[in-house]
Amino acid sequence: MSRPLEDILFGAPSPQAQTVTRVVSVIAAAVLLLLAAGVALRFHSAGQLDARFWEFFAWPTTWAFLARGLLGTLASSAMAAVIALVLGLVLLVGRLARLRLVRWPSIAVIEFLRGTPTLLLIYVCFLVLPSVGIKLSTYWMLTLPISLSTAAVVAEVYRAGVLAVPRGQTDAARSLGLTEAQVFFLVVFPQALRYIVPALVAQLVIVVKDTTFGYVVTYGELMQNAKVLIANYHALVPVYLVVAALYCLVNYAISRASKRLGGPMH
Amino acid sequence: MGDVSRLLADYGPAFGQALFLTWKLTVVSFVPGFLLGVVVTVLRLLPLPPLRFVLTGYVEIFRNIPSVALLIFIVFALPDLNVVIDYEPSVVLTLTLVCSAFTADYLRSGINTIPGGQIEAALSLGLRPTRIISAVVLPQALRAVVQPMTSLLIALMLSTSLASQVPFPGRELTALVSKIANDSAAGMAAFAVAAAMYVATGLLIAWAGGALEKKVRILR
Repeated sequence: MSRPLEDILFGAPSPQAQTVTRVVSVIAAAVLLLLAAGVALRFHSAGQLDARFWEFFAWPTTWAFLARGLLGTLASSAMAAVIALVLGLVLLVGRLARLRLVRWPSIAVIEFLRGTPTLLLIYVCFLVLPSVGIKLSTYWMLTLPISLSTAAVVAEVYRAGVLAVPRGQTDAARSLGLTEAQVFFLVVFPQALRYIVPALVAQLVIVVKDTTFGYVVTYGELMQNAKVLIANYHALVPVYLVVAALYCLVNYAISRASKRLGGPMH
Repeated sequence: MGDVSRLLADYGPAFGQALFLTWKLTVVSFVPGFLLGVVVTVLRLLPLPPLRFVLTGYVEIFRNIPSVALLIFIVFALPDLNVVIDYEPSVVLTLTLVCSAFTADYLRSGINTIPGGQIEAALSLGLRPTRIISAVVLPQALRAVVQPMTSLLIALMLSTSLASQVPFPGRELTALVSKIANDSAAGMAAFAVAAAMYVATGLLIAWAGGALEKKVRILR
């Protein structure tokens, strides 16, 4: 790994440049602190720092309730991820099939699910399916649409990985007399997986974000539970801030994991 | 098929307007989001630790926060801080912030593809660092990120669907489908039409992005 580019750019500053940098740094820090103070003042003057808006965060029940929401988020995300990984593989196999009768519908399904907003699919499960007699639980009204749209994206990620596996691998496996299925599942796909693990983990961030729509179908995930808390304590700003921070933390942890997994490979 | 033609007879103009609003929201949040992302990227290169620290926080926060959570915060929580933003600007602001964070992240990856030797060469030619950023670093970084930016634009276009979560005066595609599904039994047909419009728009963007990528990509 070579030096980061900005270190080369500003690597050997003259004494004069060093002074300038230091002065500008101090000014920038001062301006940023002033900004932060301005935000704090805004909170204070709007009365949002009053104890009654924050005291319920000292109660274990509040955190238990939020934790239950987070658990709901994770339950939905995990299920959606598992379904997407499996269904994505099915779509990939269809996408790579030689038979046009299989390949073209697979392409159509992938493009359709990938190109439609998850929220629109959720509305279909929530508003349209009941009118034709299909009634899903709130859990599935949220999880199913997310699984479907993620599966299509995962299928494309898989495909990128499969295309990255050197052709010689396929040729060698075929010349050993393996069947097409064996070539794919024993030789190509396992290697493809290794290329795309970071991309798959990064996709998990999007799944967690999508479960935020749980409040649309009143499934008890983090956002929905936040709304309940707000209804009880009339503390919009604190609750939304805490919930946003929780989402950021979870997703940041996943992103970091994905970057770390990507590290040793390249 | 009969359902779809009846639906288009009833709601045809509404779908046209909804599609137009979806496009409009996409463009008016992508352009400032992209420019803001470029600014953030450049500022993060400067050797100013406090600025780098805050901007890294900015990028990580807006990359990882769910857009809906951000939108709901802006629309429903900010008024408690005496900051009232109208619904449409709120949606645009949400998408702009998220877009700028992703742009900054992708541009950073684009910058990482530039060999360090180029910077050393430029320095030895006597170019000032700010000039190197504008003449050597940014042009190459921008050319390297056409593909991820195309995906981002498509994702942003799909994200305009969250405008349906606030009481918006106009209706974009998702809000229109939910209204039709509530009012009538034509929900399935409405969904099919809206989905076709989303997919067509996405394919159009992907095609344009692919053409641009072919034109500007740097072979290394």
